[in-house]
Amino acid sequence: MKTRVIVLAVIAIAVIVSVIATPRVPALKIATTSSLYDTGLWAHLEPLFEEQHGVKLHVFRVGTGIALDHGKRGDVDAVVIHDRTREEEFVAGGYGVERVPFAYNYFMIVGPEDDPAGIAGLKPEDAFRKLLEDGAQDPDRIVFISRGDDSGTHAKEKAIWQAAGFAYHEVQESSWSKARDGYVKAARGMGPTLLMANEKGAYTLTDNGTFLAYKGNLELVPIVETGAMLLNEYSVIAVNPDRHPGTNAEMAGNLVEFLTSPDIQDIIGSYGVDEYGVPLFSPCAGAEPGE
Amino acid sequence: MTEIWQGLIRAVQLLVSFDAEVVEIAARTLRIAGTSSLLAAIISLPLGTLIHFRQFRGKGALINIVQTLYFLPTVIVGLFVFVLLSRAGPLGELGILFTPQAMVVGQMVLITPIMLGMTISALSGVRKELLETATSLGASGSQLGLLVLREARYAVLAALLLGFGRALSELGVAMMVGGNIDGYTRMMTGAIWLATQRGDLELALALGIILLFLALVISIVLNRLQQRRPQ
Amino acid sequence: MSRPPSMIRITALTHRYGDREVLKGLDLSISRGETFALIGPTGAGKTTLLRIIDLLEMPSSGEICFDDRPVPGSGKQRLQMRRRMSLIHQKPQLFDSSVYDNVACGLRWRGNKETETVRKVGSILETVGLDRYEGRDARTLSGGEAQRVALARALVLEPEVLLLDEPTANLDPVSTSRIERLIRSIARQRSTTMIMATHDMSQGQYLADRIGVLIDGRLVQTGNSTEVFRSPRSEEVAGFVGMENIIEGKVVASAEGIATVKTGSDPDGTTIQAVSDQPVGREVHACVRPEDITLAPATHRSSARNSFRGTVTGVASSGPLSRVEVDCGFALVALVTRLSTEELGLEEGAAVVADFKATAVHVIERSAHR
Repeated sequence: MKTRVIVLAVIAIAVIVSVIATPRVPALKIATTSSLYDTGLWAHLEPLFEEQHGVKLHVFRVGTGIALDHGKRGDVDAVVIHDRTREEEFVAGGYGVERVPFAYNYFMIVGPEDDPAGIAGLKPEDAFRKLLEDGAQDPDRIVFISRGDDSGTHAKEKAIWQAAGFAYHEVQESSWSKARDGYVKAARGMGPTLLMANEKGAYTLTDNGTFLAYKGNLELVPIVETGAMLLNEYSVIAVNPDRHPGTNAEMAGNLVEFLTSPDIQDIIGSYGVDEYGVPLFSPCAGAEPGE
Repeated sequence: MTEIWQGLIRAVQLLVSFDAEVVEIAARTLRIAGTSSLLAAIISLPLGTLIHFRQFRGKGALINIVQTLYFLPTVIVGLFVFVLLSRAGPLGELGILFTPQAMVVGQMVLITPIMLGMTISALSGVRKELLETATSLGASGSQLGLLVLREARYAVLAALLLGFGRALSELGVAMMVGGNIDGYTRMMTGAIWLATQRGDLELALALGIILLFLALVISIVLNRLQQRRPQ
Repeated sequence: MSRPPSMIRITALTHRYGDREVLKGLDLSISRGETFALIGPTGAGKTTLLRIIDLLEMPSSGEICFDDRPVPGSGKQRLQMRRRMSLIHQKPQLFDSSVYDNVACGLRWRGNKETETVRKVGSILETVGLDRYEGRDARTLSGGEAQRVALARALVLEPEVLLLDEPTANLDPVSTSRIERLIRSIARQRSTTMIMATHDMSQGQYLADRIGVLIDGRLVQTGNSTEVFRSPRSEEVAGFVGMENIIEGKVVASAEGIATVKTGSDPDGTTIQAVSDQPVGREVHACVRPEDITLAPATHRSSARNSFRGTVTGVASSGPLSRVEVDCGFALVALVTRLSTEELGLEEGAAVVADFKATAVHVIERSAHR
């Protein structure tokens, strides 16, 4: 009886101590977008950075919106995201040090192979306009799954609607959106959104990295792949240490340097070739792509 | 349906092969949920006993509030603790957001009401006459407290198990306060969530099955300990 | 002769539950080593009194002294006083553990060494006849065994005061006599002060040095068993101690210690001769125990002072005896053996003579408030 109590107490104390006393190793905390995380790029880069700088890299897989919020609160040391407008606001607001683009790829409109709306070959903004106009006539056949979250991809979609001549609320209030199918908000990550579009035989806007990673499970094909609007640019921003003294500014600087260094740029540029036959990203250290 | 079968097969494979990553995540899950549960129990058992024995104004209201907190959504607790521990929040200077310690804090907020409330209910199942007998046999206040816990031990154990189960299976705190960091704060539920997000439903199901398997082992072990009588 | 020191002294004790007064101004002193039986009907307040003596409850007002020291309202001293007593409940309340753990708990709470506890528990279980029961789950015991465990659990503490609340109320006759023998032997061997509540007069008579009759929250009479059983102070006590024949009347003559009581209100009523010094003119009750009445055939000529002709109105079996109701101007109940019932042909309507001695009659002044 007594020994049993003692043994249990020792185990209990050991468990508590093991957690309470978990050493708080110096770590660099970054928040990144799910589309980047889900391609596996971070899993690939993490050990390289940890080895080079002797520090743990803690990666949070969140949407661009939440990543920026974490950055504003000082809960992460850097953000790695893809929404130029909000990134520039973030830096202008004094939350970030500097916006440094380091890689890009393209968004694409994917959809069922028979392309019911006939948008193949159009510019993305024209394609969107046609989807909305035809979709209103035939919402059962012409379905579009929007991310519907606060992600970078969703921001890109809104920007394309803008370019097509529609304010986003007009899209949401259209009869296409009000139909049972038609314009649907998934409110989930890129991968699940693709799976949902696949189930419904719908169009959706996706980054090519995630699309390639999921391609094996999908019957969707790329319908619109070209157009300046579709540029998907990933940037790293160190969180401003003046605002939040607790952040690891030095290491955040190291990360920016790391991502833009020639060796790592090469690795990023060839990432995905082994698995998909084509690279998922193009490196663009320090320079704006397509300009 | 096929996903469920494949998930089951995958679960068995992962279990049999002692997959290093799964073992690590499972061990971390048990350590973190175990710590929250033990600390919550260390608070709930004496406090519950005290509340059970003391008569004071507002006791009924207090118990009502505690019971209402059973229904706290994990996301709300996660959000609450996140805002508290965030650098921009009141306890930001501790700098413990996104650490296992912070997860323990969050899970304690989540499960202490359950353990406390259920302990109080468990103790109220012990007959008054029995406690009076103990008093007349010379039990002091604290000895009486230990006795009532012992008399209600099955129900008390159920209270603790329920709290532990909630800590083990919750996602809101693990995600919002822990951050679901690979190799550091990722628990079973976080791993399941990620696998779902990435469309690997098979792995998600397999991990879910393993989580249930862990829960089964724990409840068997605890019941065994419980049933073995001294002498 | 100096009185032995008082172990428990109660002064002007009153206790209320809400508006209901359950104990009404009790005074009682119990000496060290005394065995005191508290008898009274169910609901008279016996249990409450025991609980207050055991310091489980605070009385609404009044004072209790334990071992000549007043009991404090709370704190360590109260616990220490309580630890010198043990209370045994009517229904044994055993803990959900082994018999050994049940008996050992009081010793453990007092911080005894486990080796000593093992020895003491073993020896007390032998005393109550439950050796080899140590490992048994206490919840699987029979009622009698459970009460013996409860007794052992209290006795192993060697209390200075043992309080027993109807310890045999729920037991079969065999278990009852076993428990009674145990209590008696303990009282003799250890000179423990004992206070037992019972509604069973014969148990009180058998076990106690002194008896107190508690009726409706009042201690109406205390004294040794002969006093209480032979000379109850009031009609209520008389009824409770088994004087079933309580006849209303008035003393009409008194000479040489013999009073003549005229029954009923009718002027030609029957008279009863009783040994009593109640004065002439007093309203009284004449009380006679049923076992003190003898019945004889109607032809019988009696030498008893009180002899009444009457008719049997009812016969009922009561164990080995028969209760025979007779109307002889007033109602009488007599207890006779079953054999005599048959010999006398006692049945409804039979004519009989009921005899009893003047010494068998106890005369009580009729209380004014009735």
